[in-house]
Amino acid sequence: MASSDLMVGLEIGTSKICVVVGEGRPDGTIKILGVGQAPSRGVRKGEIVDFETAMKCVHEAVVDAETNSDVMIRSVYVGVAGSHIQSFNNRGSVSLPEDRDEIDEQDIEEVKLNAREVSIPSQNAFLHSIIQHYHVDGQDGVLNPVGMLGERLEADFHIIHGVRTRIQNTIRCVKELPLEVEDVVFNALAAAQVVLTPHQKNLGALVIDIGGGTTDYILYVDGAVKQSGVLGVGGDHITNDISMGLRIPMTRAEKLKIEEGGVTLGNCLPGETVLLKDDSGFAGKEIERETLNTIIHLRLRECFELLKRKLEEESFINYLGEGIFITGGCSHLKGIDHLAEEIFELPARVAHAQTMSGLTSAFENPQFSAAIGLIKYAQAVQVDRRPRRGFGRLFGKIFNGMR
Amino acid sequence: MIQLSRNYTLPEREDEIIPIKVIGVGGAGSNALDRIVLDGFDKADLVAANSDVQSLASSVASNKVQLGRTVTRGLGTGGDPELGYNAAAEAADEIRASIKDARLIFVCAGLGGGTGSGAAPVIAELAREAGALVIAFATMPFTFEGKRRTAQAQEALARLQEVSNAVICFENDRLGDIVAPKAGIHQAFAAADVTISQSVRSIVSLIQRPGLIRIGFDDLLSALRSPGGRCLFGFGESDSDNRAHDALTQALKNPLMDRGRLLSDATNVLVQVAGGPGMTLSEVEILMTELNRHIGDQTQILFGTAVDGRMGNRLAVTIISSLCADEAIVQKPVFPPAAVAIPPAPEPVAETKWAPEPEPPREEQEPAFAEPEQSAPPVAAPVLERPLQTIDAVMPQSEPTSPEETDEIEAIESAPAHVVQIPSDIIEPEPAQPRVILPKKKPALPKEQKPVEKIPHAKQEVMQFESVTRGRFEKSEPTIVEGQDLDVPTFLRKNVRVK
Repeated sequence: MASSDLMVGLEIGTSKICVVVGEGRPDGTIKILGVGQAPSRGVRKGEIVDFETAMKCVHEAVVDAETNSDVMIRSVYVGVAGSHIQSFNNRGSVSLPEDRDEIDEQDIEEVKLNAREVSIPSQNAFLHSIIQHYHVDGQDGVLNPVGMLGERLEADFHIIHGVRTRIQNTIRCVKELPLEVEDVVFNALAAAQVVLTPHQKNLGALVIDIGGGTTDYILYVDGAVKQSGVLGVGGDHITNDISMGLRIPMTRAEKLKIEEGGVTLGNCLPGETVLLKDDSGFAGKEIERETLNTIIHLRLRECFELLKRKLEEESFINYLGEGIFITGGCSHLKGIDHLAEEIFELPARVAHAQTMSGLTSAFENPQFSAAIGLIKYAQAVQVDRRPRRGFGRLFGKIFNGMR
Repeated sequence: MIQLSRNYTLPEREDEIIPIKVIGVGGAGSNALDRIVLDGFDKADLVAANSDVQSLASSVASNKVQLGRTVTRGLGTGGDPELGYNAAAEAADEIRASIKDARLIFVCAGLGGGTGSGAAPVIAELAREAGALVIAFATMPFTFEGKRRTAQAQEALARLQEVSNAVICFENDRLGDIVAPKAGIHQAFAAADVTISQSVRSIVSLIQRPGLIRIGFDDLLSALRSPGGRCLFGFGESDSDNRAHDALTQALKNPLMDRGRLLSDATNVLVQVAGGPGMTLSEVEILMTELNRHIGDQTQILFGTAVDGRMGNRLAVTIISSLCADEAIVQKPVFPPAAVAIPPAPEPVAETKWAPEPEPPREEQEPAFAEPEQSAPPVAAPVLERPLQTIDAVMPQSEPTSPEETDEIEAIESAPAHVVQIPSDIIEPEPAQPRVILPKKKPALPKEQKPVEKIPHAKQEVMQFESVTRGRFEKSEPTIVEGQDLDVPTFLRKNVRVK
């Protein structure tokens, strides 16, 4: 088996660590060979806080994946999140030399470098620079300017950056296992690769990946990333709220959230209760469903409202033709799509990875969106790298800020 | 554990059974009767009184009284209480005959319709004339049945309260809570009947059961004193290993109880624990300790236990209490001012103020029920007048002369303005809170007590802020967005109360 076709995505999440082993097919699809999982410890809000423990957990997940897929894992694509990750849009421009007016690949490289000549905080490093559109002599919306004639080439980039040391922590954690880190990818970007089809990206869509510790979002308009970011609030916060509001242990709260949690208010009868069975060390308790839902609802409502305010800083949210796609572990909460619909005033749906073959149970679970997305990302990058820049997949034109 | 001694002898009460009658008035009333019969209740004579012959014929009650032979000619009253009143008046002699000799009479009626609203007060009055103690069970219509029906029901309820010794009012809206979400509407109505039947039975056995610590009619009346209020009733029975706990849980589960939460606002709570000879003191103790958690410190507990051989292994708890409902404001000023003046002062919670201190003689409380509704506006008016006068310039259209429903609306409207008008004696930070609370209390509260009532509310909010913690995220880097620490639960930051 040619190892180059094998791709492994590793997502170090707050609640679980997830490894997906996939195989790229010549036709561009991906076959999932196996999935490895391990509960995550030592990770808070998407960032490693306890190095040793986190490393053990990653190791566990990798071993699990190796067993399940019967593949020896050597290198991985690592997904990163964390509220330190930020993004902005920038335009770079170059003027072609006097003696030449046909744009070639060198010019494109140059314009990319140019676009990155912006000041980001000194401790930060670039994660991604994603091309949005080229402009040739003021002509908008050029997708691939190579071979075009012009004097001035400009390019809009979406630049994602984060705190260098924190990203390096994640890399180091993987490298010490030891595994090779092929690339570091922003989680939402990865998730969007499998949740959205190119068509949906063109029409405009917002992907909200609500994981355990963070809520990552990425917004596509005209096939290009326009906005992205991380909100340091996730499922853990909901669990914590439940635990504090109902005065029950965290583990109980987590279970209650998963099994009984809902977002919709006024949907249950007054007095309708959920019974928590008593267990060793925990006296049974009856919990009013409406109270539980109110706690979840308030948290998610706030989360969505914050996101909306963030997104409204720019006008792209008005151009979402396809609406909102919610993925990640928290998208299992009943009624979350309706709440998003209500707040964003856009159609919203819960989505999982598309266009895959292999373990359907894996990709149909929104929890795995980001990990599977890593493989899709890897595939796109590999296609892009090996045949020396073929067709212009937008996200393929990414160069790596790290390493 | 202390086993109750079998040698302990009690006066055998079962020989002197009090003659009891249960009268079901109107359609809902006879439904309740049917349910009582179905539940196997044989300690009382059942009398069905209805204007609708068809419905009367299908009733299982042993005695039947047709109301309005000439007024309705065997048909129903078509939702007209006037007609129901006339029909009952016409059948007065028959009713008298049927309730003769009874010492305790239960009148069950569904208010809102014609016969129930019109005839029930008449029958209750006749029963009182006959010298019996009258307890009325009234169900209030569902809100969706329309405002007209609700108004008729309110009026009938007020009249029932005039003539009965006690009125236990079940709100159908709340009874609906017992019914599973997908159950049909008929089941919601049936639930009302079940609850009535359960309360009739438990009250009867409460009074008749030979008690170690006896509960008498006087106890029952003081538990039900809050006139026009919401009745809290709970009954639980269990024979499991943990029967004390289970029975109490079951009793508190009753929707009229709101899981014991409402109990904290009650002034008098009647509790009877009944069990077989095997009932132990520690069981009673466990049960009462648990119950005490739901009851405020100021609450008077009317406690009774009974040992009944027929109970076998079972342990039953009956909890009866009442709260002043919002609508009951009208009735509240009725208490002689002298009697009211003392009790309110020591009690911090406004809601509990209405019921007077423990155990006044029954006569004192009868005027409470006897106070006619019509007298309410004059009583309420002077209190309302003050805010309204101050607002007059702002809201000239407000007039304190309207009937009670509009009074309330006006009170609500005027509340925020009222707060603005009198900043000197009350510091009220939020207009939203008083909007809910003020109108309820205002009409009846003496002026000087208002600050007392408001301070606890302000305090409550402060306490919410104090308890802000980040729980699991205590030691991690805070997530601060737009000046808010998102690790603190949203409901705490937004100050939403969760129970």
